[in-house]
Formats: sequence, structure tokens, C-alpha cells
Amino acid sequence: MSAEVMASPARRSAVREMASTVATIMAKEVRSRFRGRRAFVVLTLYLGVLALIAYGAYAVEAPVAREAARFGGGEFGAIGVPNASARVGQAIFTVLSLFQLLLACLIAPALTAGAISLEREKQTLDMLIATPMRPAGLVIGKLLSAMAFVILILLAGIPISAMVLMYGGASVDDILRQQVVLFTSAIGCGVVGLFYSALIKRTQTATVLTYATLIALGIGTLLLFRLWTSLLTNDPRNTFGEVRRAPEWILYANPAVAMTEVLANTELEYGDFSELLDTLRARSGVFPGVPVEGPGNGIDDGPFFPPVAPPDRPADQAPELVSDHFWPRISITVTGIALLLTLLSTRLLGPVGRRPWAIRRRPAPRGTNP
Amino acid sequence: MSMEPVVQTRSLVKRYDGELALAGVDLEVAPGEIFGLVGPNGAGKTTMMRILATLLAPTAGQATVCGVDVDVDPVEVRRRIGYMPDFYGVYDDLRTWEYLDFFARCYGVPPSRRRGMIGELLEIVGLSDKRDAYVESLSRGMRQRLCLAHTLVHDPQLLILDEPASGLDPRARVEVREIMRTLRDMGKTVLVSSHILPELGELCTSVGIIDHGRMVRAGRIDEIERSLRASALLRIDVVSDAAEAISWLGTDPRAGDVMEVGGADGVSRLELPYDGGPDEQADLLRRMVEAGHRVAGFSQATSGLEEIFLQVTGMQEDSAA
Repeated sequence: MSAEVMASPARRSAVREMASTVATIMAKEVRSRFRGRRAFVVLTLYLGVLALIAYGAYAVEAPVAREAARFGGGEFGAIGVPNASARVGQAIFTVLSLFQLLLACLIAPALTAGAISLEREKQTLDMLIATPMRPAGLVIGKLLSAMAFVILILLAGIPISAMVLMYGGASVDDILRQQVVLFTSAIGCGVVGLFYSALIKRTQTATVLTYATLIALGIGTLLLFRLWTSLLTNDPRNTFGEVRRAPEWILYANPAVAMTEVLANTELEYGDFSELLDTLRARSGVFPGVPVEGPGNGIDDGPFFPPVAPPDRPADQAPELVSDHFWPRISITVTGIALLLTLLSTRLLGPVGRRPWAIRRRPAPRGTNP
Repeated sequence: MSMEPVVQTRSLVKRYDGELALAGVDLEVAPGEIFGLVGPNGAGKTTMMRILATLLAPTAGQATVCGVDVDVDPVEVRRRIGYMPDFYGVYDDLRTWEYLDFFARCYGVPPSRRRGMIGELLEIVGLSDKRDAYVESLSRGMRQRLCLAHTLVHDPQLLILDEPASGLDPRARVEVREIMRTLRDMGKTVLVSSHILPELGELCTSVGIIDHGRMVRAGRIDEIERSLRASALLRIDVVSDAAEAISWLGTDPRAGDVMEVGGADGVSRLELPYDGGPDEQADLLRRMVEAGHRVAGFSQATSGLEEIFLQVTGMQEDSAA
């Protein structure tokens, strides 16, 4: 029988083996993590807080919006009832998104940063590694069981986010974008914790390094971008003093930027998130209702906002109303980093003394003697 | 059963940051043997066992378990061994049967076999009545037995037990020894380590004495004892002039350097290595008495195996003191 014919069932059984490893680890972890009423109580409390926050946003925004609907709250007079409702929905969507993002990014690493190092500290890891389970299955099982709770609270939060559809202001597309960003961010943050857990012996150190890394990614990259941009802009060779931005790939591992874009997309007027997004990227789009300097739009008394359209854009091209620039790129980058770190964590669980990045010798197929 | 050795290492070397933990160890364990790996702390026992359990990669040399190279196919090796580390923890928040069930799943034991097997194992280690108890509530000795049970879930050919009786009270030690006896009767091959010999002496069929990463002596216990019987450390108490006895003994070609190790009330205690078995020793005693020495005591200082072990571990005790 040729090697190709042999390879296929072997590969299928490897997949099955892997799945069974993941299931084994998850069964055990879920058994101990979800035993008793604790998980149930925490989930209920979380959803309660989420609903309360949504109500808080409603309570703050609704009177303002009602006012604006009747007497005008924007620059252009009364905004009308549908717009007012959308404004409430948008406010709720914003707080819910930010709250869930923050919580997912804080909770996920707290659950994963001990996943492997705790086994090491409790001296149970050796016995686990000494079983024929695939390290990859072990790592993924650990990740999924640690993330199970985060995934659960994110899933349970979807109906609350969907409440926004009742008000308008955020569409199904927006909620999809929001969920993609939330899930990839949570898993990315979780994997960073898992990686340090596999790399570092002590849980405490692993936890500190995890949060330090996440802060560096979430805040550090923004500061770096800001600093780099101002250095480029204030460079004496920049004769006309135009804004010169730092390379934007610095921000590609920053979930906060992705969420900023998702939120900017829901803004009815040029708001905080749109402004923030514009400082990060020269967008070729504008907002509905925002006058823009340009040929044929009939406004020549100067733009309300500084022109953001690059001069090389063809005049007849429709302005970009929705920005899908950062969040797909960031989601893909974060997923890629997560995969890479998972792979490295897997290697770290191999026999000690072998370099984790070394390519392992494949066992010779049985029955074939060289 | 084939007589291919279950464990075989050839000049196994392990180096940690330039420090030599194993300096070329050759080891062979035949099927059905209870092989005791004895040596002082830091001798390399644990390193040896961790390499065989595929947790450590050897720096050089080769190690095979059931004919499978640990470096080439560690997963296959893991399927064939049960491993209990010297320091280990248990999952406190699981019940006893869940603990064994978890490891049975880890080793890919089909669900149909798991239930009955868990009952059998709990029977073997005497924890049947603790089936539904949380591991947290078990005593240290019980946890040790539970950990021993986990090495058996997949019915492995070889058990690697690193200091299974350390840190236990005498009663629990006896229990562990009883389990080991059961394992022997089940026909398992066992590689077990200890830093004290008496713990293993009567249980093992073979021993290897390891020190400073080298195998000082290894083989079947009866063979070692036979070879040791050919030479011994003699202890002779003489009432007459000690100096005279020492010089007389010095003329015997079989005798090594004679040392006066103490004495009281006119009795001097002499010790000398003697290159001869019981026949030659009896002969020596007769000739001594005939030569006019007043012998009050004549014995072997220690049993041969313990002697070697004490020589090896003695150095360690001295440096620790």
C-alpha cells in the first residue's frame, strides 16, 4: 500500500484523537469549574449588570433625544422622532459594546493565565503530559474550558445587544461586527494568558505579564501611534506642517481600535468615535448630513469639518458611509497571533530540554525497517 | 512473553546547564522484574525516570521502552507506561472515581471498559469505600494510593514509580509495599526508585545503585549477593594486643587494610575488607585462634548490598553534615 493511501486514515484518526483530548480536558475542567451554583449566580449577576447599564444609557440619553426631536439638539434643528430613537439605540449599543469588550478582555486572561501554570504549581502537569494526549489538544482543551465561561457570558449578552434593534441606531450588521470584535478580542486576550501560563512557571508572574502585554497592546500602541505621528508631523522637513501619520499596522493588534470603528459606524453625527477614528486614519468617507467641501455640492462657505477626503479621490466616487477598514484587519491579526501563540504553547509542553521551536523527528512508520 | 528488555538505556547522558546529571548510564530491565533504582538524593534517579517517561529529552545516548525510542515516538512510549512522579498533586475538586475516569479518558480507554476498571483499581489500592469522596478529603497515604492507581488505568506494561513511599508514615508504607506486591503478581514490570534501600530490598528482583549520575552496580539481587558473598567487610573483636593482631592479619594475602575502629574494656574492634567467602572466613578465624589471638567476636560488618549502598550514600551524608 502506498504512503498516500496510508496517510488519510492516519490523519483522520489524529483529528479524532485531538477532538477526544479536547473533550476529555473540557469534561474535567467544566466538572470542577461549573460545579455547584457559582457559575449560574455569576452569569445571572452579569446579565443583570448588563441590563442595568443598558437602562442607564437609556435613562441618560432618552430625555436629551426627546428634546432634540422636538426643538433641535443638533446643528441643523429638530432631528425628528426616528432619529431620536436611533440616538437612544446608538447610546445603548455604545455602552454595551465598551462594557463587554472591557470585561471580556479582563476576565479571559484571568481565567487562562493559570490554566497551565496552576497545574505546574500543583504538580499535576507531569502526570498529564505523561499521558499520550496530544499537547495541542491539551492546550486547546485548556483554552476552551477556561474560555467557556467568557464565551457563555458573551453569548448570553447577544439578546441584550439585540435590544438595540428595537430603537434603531445600530443595524444587524453593526451587531455582527460587534460580536466578531468581542469574540476575537476575548479569545486573543485568553490566548495571551494561556501562552504566559505555559511559558512561565508561576501563575502570579504569568498573570502580571499577561496584563502588562494586554495594556501594551491596548494603550501602548495608541500612545506609540500618537507619539510617532507627532514626531513625523513636527519634523522640520515637513514644511507645510500637514499631518503625517505613523504606520497604521501598529494598531492592528488593538481590539479597542476595532471597537472604535464599529462604534463610529453607528454614529449618526460626527461624534467622539468618528473623531478618534479620523485621528488614526485619513478616511475617504464622510458622514451623512455633514457638509463637505468639494465640487458640486453647493457649499462653498467652508467645510464644517476639515476636509478628510484625500485629494486624489475621484469626485464622482460615492463617499464611504461605513468604515470597514480596521476591524477586519484587527480581527484577522488577533486571530493570527492567537494561533501562533497556541502553537508555541503546544511546543512549550513538549519534553523539557528540547527547544520548543525545533522540528520534531517523525517516528518511522511501523513495520518498515530501514 | 518475549524476553526483549522492557527498559534499555545505552550511555544515557543528561546535562542541565553544563551540570552532568546522568553521565552515561546503561540500564536494562527484563519483563516482569521489579527493578529498584537506589541512590542518594540528587544521584540522577528522577532524571533517569523522567527521561523514560518522556518528560525530559536526553542530551545524548539512547533510551528505549518496550523497544520504542523515547526520543523518536514519545507518544507510543507513553501508551505503554504508567508514571508516578516523586512530587505530585491531585485534583482536589474531583471525586475519586472522577479522578480515575479523567486519566482513563486521557489514556483513551473506551467508555465501556472504564466503569468496571475503576472499581477494580479502587479495590487494588483499597479505596473502594472512597469512590464518591472528594480527593480533597483523602489522607496523604490515600492520595498516594490513588496516584498509584492512576498509573494503571490503561493496563501498561511498565510502571515507573518515583519514590512511591516517600513522606509516608510506616503504616502507609506497608500499604504501598502491599500494592507493589500485587503489581508484581499481576506480572507488571516496575521501575521503582528510593533513596533508602531497606524500603525496596525485599521487594525487588533487581537493583541498580546510582550515584553522581553513574550506575555503580546493577543486576539481579541474588547475583549481586552471590558476588558480594565472595568478599566482605569483617569485624573482629580481639581481647589480646590489638597491634599484634593487626600485623598478623596484614600478612594474610586476602586481607585489605586493617583498621582499628574502636573498643572498650580491653577489647579492640578491628575492621578489614576480606576477599573471601564463608569458607575462607571460617578458615581465617581458625588460624587466628591457632596463632594465639583471643578472638571475642567475628562477624560481617554489614550485608553486602547495604555495604555498597552505605559507601555510596555515606559520602552524601558527610557532605550534608
